[in-house]
Amino acid sequence: MLEHVVNGLVLGGTYALVAMGLTIQYGIARIMNLSFGDTIIAACFATYVLFTSLSISPILALLILVPSGYALSNVVYRVIMKPLVARAPDEGALEVDSILVTFGLLFVIQGILLYLFGGGYTSYSFFNTPINVLGTVVAGNRLLALVLSLMIGAALVIILFRTRWGMILRAVALAPKSAPLFGIDTDRAARTAFAIGGAIAATGGVVISMFQTFTATAGVVFTMKALIVVILGGKGSVPGAIVAGLLLGLVETFVAAYVDPGLTLAAVYTVFLLLLLVRPNGIFGKA
Amino acid sequence: MKTSYAFALAGAALVVLALAPMFIPEYWTGVLLGMTGYVTLATAWALFSGPTRYVSLATVAFFGVGAYTVAVLNEVMPYPLVLLCAAGIGMVMALVVGLSTLRLAGVYFVIFTFGLAELVRQTVSWWEVNVTYTMGRYVFLPFEGRHIYWQLLALAALTFLIAWAMGRSRIGLALKALGDDETVASHAGVDVTRIKLLLFVISSTIITLVGAIQAPRWTYIEPSIVFNPTVSFMTLIMALLGGAMRLWGPLVGAVPLFLLFEWLSVSFPDHFSIILGLLFILIVFVMPNGVLAKIDDLRKGGRA
Amino acid sequence: MSAQLQITNLQKRFGGLVAVNGVSFTLSPGEVVGLLGPNGSGKTTVMNMISGALPCDGGTVQVGGTDITRMKPHKVAKHGVARTFQLVRPLPTLNVAENVLLALAFGKKRHWGREARELVDQKLEFVGLAGRGEEKVGNLTYIDQKRLEMARALASEPDLLLLDEWLAGLNPSELRIGIDLVQHLQGQGMTVLLVEHIMEAVRALCSRCIVMSAGEKIAEGASAEVLRDPAVIKAYLGDDHA
Repeated sequence: MLEHVVNGLVLGGTYALVAMGLTIQYGIARIMNLSFGDTIIAACFATYVLFTSLSISPILALLILVPSGYALSNVVYRVIMKPLVARAPDEGALEVDSILVTFGLLFVIQGILLYLFGGGYTSYSFFNTPINVLGTVVAGNRLLALVLSLMIGAALVIILFRTRWGMILRAVALAPKSAPLFGIDTDRAARTAFAIGGAIAATGGVVISMFQTFTATAGVVFTMKALIVVILGGKGSVPGAIVAGLLLGLVETFVAAYVDPGLTLAAVYTVFLLLLLVRPNGIFGKA
Repeated sequence: MKTSYAFALAGAALVVLALAPMFIPEYWTGVLLGMTGYVTLATAWALFSGPTRYVSLATVAFFGVGAYTVAVLNEVMPYPLVLLCAAGIGMVMALVVGLSTLRLAGVYFVIFTFGLAELVRQTVSWWEVNVTYTMGRYVFLPFEGRHIYWQLLALAALTFLIAWAMGRSRIGLALKALGDDETVASHAGVDVTRIKLLLFVISSTIITLVGAIQAPRWTYIEPSIVFNPTVSFMTLIMALLGGAMRLWGPLVGAVPLFLLFEWLSVSFPDHFSIILGLLFILIVFVMPNGVLAKIDDLRKGGRA
Repeated sequence: MSAQLQITNLQKRFGGLVAVNGVSFTLSPGEVVGLLGPNGSGKTTVMNMISGALPCDGGTVQVGGTDITRMKPHKVAKHGVARTFQLVRPLPTLNVAENVLLALAFGKKRHWGREARELVDQKLEFVGLAGRGEEKVGNLTYIDQKRLEMARALASEPDLLLLDEWLAGLNPSELRIGIDLVQHLQGQGMTVLLVEHIMEAVRALCSRCIVMSAGEKIAEGASAEVLRDPAVIKAYLGDDHA
């Protein structure tokens, strides 16, 4: 029982982390990114390659992959998203355009991964030492994943809520039209937000690859779960994403343990549906 | 007058297409079959997603359900009844999805449909493994390519007829209006949720039927074959290329793209998905409203 | 004769903010009544609750004796309530005639076909857009968009018309045309509730006025008297003429 709670929190912690990335991209850059999960999977494979062929530990890999995620997303925003933002007459049009373009991007990333690594399940063994936590045994890599997620998530919250830079980003999220009146460069803010989202996706990929198997086609599922967490938590709400992420991780772990591992996605969907019926604006959403 | 000419022309084209398998080699009948399937999928998709701008990413969820229904039921009941069952299941699924998401903002619908295919695939797999203990099924129906082709052609004709009639009806007008501004449409008396639901159900039922009719082509069916996300993707890209707001748009997009994809999948099997994705991004960039709208723009530009 | 519109103790809160607090008033058939008040006093919120755009937190709305409090906007429209929007909202995919046809096809009755086309022409002529049905709405001037907004509202064949600052933003000669149009409707016996900031229009059109401030009704009565009321001047004109 306690073992499942710990495992659920580990999984939920990573969900909360990646969902924060997605909610920043959607809330600030106004891009609904359907290729988000594939970015995570790409980072999983990158970590795998660094670890197995170059013996670089996943912790060090973070130092390489997180800046790469930031830089690559920055380029993607400049090349693909910026023209769409510029031509969109309203927010609805941008939403549709961004959904379509990132849907295309999803297939590109997935295609590249399939070409390079094939469609099989991949994993590696790192820091698999059993550790005793509150009387149950948990794999070291899981614990490490949780600690990393919490640390990076906390760092992000501090940046968003305690720095000038974070205030600018939040201002753009709240009032994209009036932010320029206060001398805020919304284009730069959107680009930065999109890139931060990419960096978080990369972080998520590294962390997840430490304790889970992954396939080139699993991106859809990660995007889906991150989207559900964002919606459950209330669009743009960071505390909401954390609570909803942990909740989803626990639900999944318990369903896998007590019902059937094949039904986890169904369970996630059920939670999503029930919540949509009761609170269409999310747990922390405004009416 | 103009409509009756158009109808005569469409009827003649239909007759020629129906007779084609008698004169062309078997391989090309297969190509025509696949093309007709995608023309129907893209037209049915655009029926709902075009005017409402609710981008449905769940095409293959319905398509796969149709195919799988045939795989499960083809040995226990007569074929027409199997098709009816497939249509019924697709309809119920569309009702459940629509009722839970269509009264909310469009983005919830997109997100829900985005994961729907994966959800259905996993659930069907789970069911097969744990309840029926059979992974993969055989479809033995006495159909050759041309039989399937004729069924698809009939369904395509029906889909066009529905789309045409819709465009001229009150419902078609309401659909365009709510695509522009749901609030205004509802204050003009349009029950927006009901109209969206109705169209989504019609569109999804047709898509389910395409999957059901095509099922005998595979002979062997398992979830990963019939729930292949590429189907959703190709449908979307075809409808967008031609223009999802026009009756003939999806057709104009589907024919050349289907031929291109046939060639690509044979010539570059390993890079297929990458090329597809890049092509798609290009289309969204260059022709956001489709080829037909682009041609209109160019013509107007030329005159001005 | 029962009231055309009867509002009783209407309540609306947005989070902790009370937007509308216990507002009640009545419109008799054929009356044109002004709903006034400074910005943020809750006028548009009241309009939105009558037309079904916002759910009420308390109180009732009755139209022609029927309780419409919990009805969705499309049901309200079918019960004979039509509205215009503060900022014009023409439907760009449809042409001018189709914009009007929509409301005819889904309004009180289901008009369609030849009969509906004749009615469209009739509505367009009434607002001064005769012969322009095939035009794109994007090409219309501001006053013509306002006309279209009115034609669409009338096409629902309402018994009660809600005009939300329909005259705002017009130049003096356009304003004259707009006022004439509403007077013409008044002559036909239409009941109109008018949210308006332009005093000239209020004086010309409304026999009676209701004034709101901070979510509450602060005055009601004949226009001339209400506009002289010191409380009203303080709350409303004080803001505008400061």
